[in-house]
Parts: sequence; structure tokens; C-alpha cells
Amino acid sequence: MFCYNCGCRLSEHDFCTACGADVSLYKRIIAVSNRFYNEGLEKAGVRDLTGAINSLRQSLKFNKNNIEARNLLGLVYFEMGEVVAALSEWVISKNLRPEKNIADDYIDMLQSNAGRLDSINQTIKKYNQALGYCLQDSKDLAVIQLKKVLSLNPKFIRAHQLLALLYMDSEDWERAKRELRKCMEIDRNNTLTLRYMKEVERMLAPDEAVKQPSRRKKEEAVRYQSDNEIIIQPLNVKEQKSGGASTLLNLGIGLVIGLAAMYFLVVPAAVSNARNEAQASMAEIGNQLDAKTSRVQELETQVGKLQTEIDGLNQELEGYVGTEGTLQTIESLLKAANAYLETKDVYQTAESLEAIAATVNVEETSEAFSNLYHSLKKSIGPQLSADYYQEGYEAYRTEDYATAIEKLTKAFEYDETNMEALYQLGHSYRKSDEKAKAIETYQKVVDLFPETERARKAQGYIDDLQ
Amino acid sequence: MINFEEELKKFYPSLEVEDAADAIYNQDLTDVADLLIKMVQEADVKTGKQ
Repeated sequence: MFCYNCGCRLSEHDFCTACGADVSLYKRIIAVSNRFYNEGLEKAGVRDLTGAINSLRQSLKFNKNNIEARNLLGLVYFEMGEVVAALSEWVISKNLRPEKNIADDYIDMLQSNAGRLDSINQTIKKYNQALGYCLQDSKDLAVIQLKKVLSLNPKFIRAHQLLALLYMDSEDWERAKRELRKCMEIDRNNTLTLRYMKEVERMLAPDEAVKQPSRRKKEEAVRYQSDNEIIIQPLNVKEQKSGGASTLLNLGIGLVIGLAAMYFLVVPAAVSNARNEAQASMAEIGNQLDAKTSRVQELETQVGKLQTEIDGLNQELEGYVGTEGTLQTIESLLKAANAYLETKDVYQTAESLEAIAATVNVEETSEAFSNLYHSLKKSIGPQLSADYYQEGYEAYRTEDYATAIEKLTKAFEYDETNMEALYQLGHSYRKSDEKAKAIETYQKVVDLFPETERARKAQGYIDDLQ
Repeated sequence: MINFEEELKKFYPSLEVEDAADAIYNQDLTDVADLLIKMVQEADVKTGKQ
């Protein structure tokens, strides 16, 4: 002990031998602090941690430099799961006495293992979160969180107490009691724990009252000693004589109960599972069926399109190779040309060309076909035109106007320079009272052969007819 | 009979490790010995002792 005035070591006297200061009161204060420390140490020894904390705090109130008391207080906090409080005490202790201080070891123990410190911090955060859940009335979440906290830090008294309170609130008295017992294993004299325990025991008391008669029954047994053994014979218990039959009966009942349980619990579950599996299979098959149906429809559409295409192509092919097809027409034209070159039979050639003109529109055929057709027609045209003109004119003279019109039309068709044929055709129409056609034909004469005598006369007829 | 709401008020959030420094600085470390020394010093001042 050192003098508060000069810092010298004090002797057994009530004054400082160095400065003469009166230290009697100071010595008393230090003694009281030490006494509280001893009390705290004693209480900590019997796991009365709450009592120990009170005593050690008292000790430190008298003498803040009581390093042993402060270190022990930190240790007690640590034992109760209050790690930050413990750390605070040890840090202060270390500041007050930097050398030869066991708090140094405690701090090192915590700080050297970063994982442990982090785990402790997580525990604290989870506890605070659980408390938050309680305040928000999310008690189930709070219970889950507190269980996590206690799995990480099983000595956290406050977490145990809060969990017990939650169990008590949900009237789960047995669990609450279990938590409170755990609290009491850590801290035997915690006021809150004791209060909760009293409440829990009060709530559980009726059950225990029911159990009491059975205890009395045991007391109503006859006890006697035989050699070294104490024989206890109950008075109100009858011995069962038909042991074998009852065993069989019990077995039978057990079997029936087992079968009933199987029927009511296992079978419905199995049936339900099978039904679910069947439904799943059906759903899968249905999906596959839908996919295949869709594929079939797609293929059918494709087949339809291809069939249409085939029909189109067949039709096109028919157009080329059929009796009236292009190939056939070309062949007919070639035959007509060949026949003309060999026989010079203009009528036969004309007949062939007329047959070709009847089957196809020459203007829509290929250029080569059209050229050959027109060349052939031009070759036979003048002679044929002259012949048709003669025939037509003869018919006109005999007043057979129908034949005249037919022949003269052909005569002009085969030779468009045959003005006479066109002029006589106009007369034929006029004579057969086809006024419109007559005017049309005369107009052609005027247009195609202007400034000719025939044109002048044709115009005269036109004027007369209109 | 325990009242849950009332009991809940007795629980307070635990200090986290990050808050330890503040807890240490804010702790009142004045003890009875300090008061005694102060009283003695004040008495000395009043009586004119050095």
C-alpha cells in the first residue's frame, strides 16, 4: 500500500513515514475494498456470479486501483457471456497497471484469435437482433435467433433468460425450466433467474400435486431386511398370474395397433405418393403427346404444301408435255414447217398453223416459236391470201356473203397488204346488212391504204352508211 | 404472474465489440479514495496547510 499523498510505501502506522500525512482513513477504505474483493472471490467460487459482481463493484467503488478485483470482475463477466464488459474491465486494468498484469493474458487470449472475437461479436449482434424481434412481436424468429446465439455462446445468461421468458410467454413451462436450470448452472443466485424459476415452478405445481399420491403408494410398501438385502413389497399391487396369456394378448393388441397405424398413416401416404407419381407421369405423357400432336400438325401442313407444289409442277409439266402442251405445240409447228419445206402445200401448212393458233396464243410463246410461226405464215401468206381472195370474191359475186366474209377475212389475215380483200370484205358486210362491221372494215381501208382510190371510195361508203 | 411486456423492458441490447472503446472512456472511475483525497486537500486549503 502506498501513500496517496507522496506515493511512499506505508508502514503499520496510521501516518506516512515519509510525508506525515494521516492515512488511517485511507487505510480503512483500502481494507473495505479488499474485504469486498474477498467476498466477491468467495461468491465467484460457489458460482454466485451476480453476488460476486455486486461485491467486486463495491470493492472497485472504494478502490478503483484494486487490480485483482477488476480482473476478477472481468472474468466473472466473461463467464456470464458478457464479453464486451469483461474486455472493458481488463483494458482499464491494463491501463492502471501496465506491467505484471494477468489482464494482459486475458486480452491476448481474445485478440490473438480474430475468428473467436468475430464469432463473439456475431453472437452479440444476433442477441440484439433477437431482442429486436421480441419488441416487434416476432417471437418465433426471436426463439430461433436465441437458439443460434446459445449454440455459439452457451454461457450467455441474458440469452438464456430471454429464451426462458419467451417459452414462458408461450406457456412452454418445461422448456422455460430447462433454460432457467442452465442459467442456474452458470449463475446460481441471479435474481431474475430465481424469479422466473419461481413462476415456472408455480405453473408446474398442479402436475406435481397429481404425482404425489403415487409417491405415497410407494410409502405404503412393506420393507423388511433379509440378510444383507432390503426387500420392499408393495401392498396394493396384485401379481398377475396368467403371464403367458396376457403377453400373447398384449402382442396381439400391439400387432393390431401396428397394423392400424400402418393402414391409417403409412398406406395413405404411400397411396398419395403413388397418385402424385402417376399424375406427374400423366402430365409428362400429356406434354409429350401435345408436342407430338403439334409436330404431326406441322408435318401435315408441310405435306399439304408439298402436295400443292407437286400439283403445280405436274400441271406445269402437263403444260409442256400434254396433248395441248407447249412441247406438243412446238412439235406441231416443226411438223408444219417440215411439211411446207417438203411439199410446198400451203393449205396443209395453213391448216396446221390454224390448229396451232387455236391451241396457244402465239404472242405469248417464246421468241423463236413466234418468229418461226410468223415466218411460215409470211411464206405461205401471199399465195394463200390470193387463193382465199378468189374464192371469197366468187362467193361475193354469187351473193353468198357468208362464205365471202369467211374467205375474204382469211385472205386479209394471211396478207395484210391485200387491200382488195379488205375492200371486198367491207362490201360483203354491207351487203349482208352488218352495218357496223362494214363501217369498221371500210375504216381500216382508209387507215391502212390512205390516198388510194379504194380509200376514197371506202370513205364514201362510210359516209353513206352513217 | 410474469408480464412479458414488462419483463422485456428489463432486457437491454448488449454492447458490441466496436462499442467497447466508448464504454471504457465513458466509465466513471471515481472511487471513495479519490473523494477522500479531494476532501483532505480541500481541508488543507481551508486550514492553510501546504
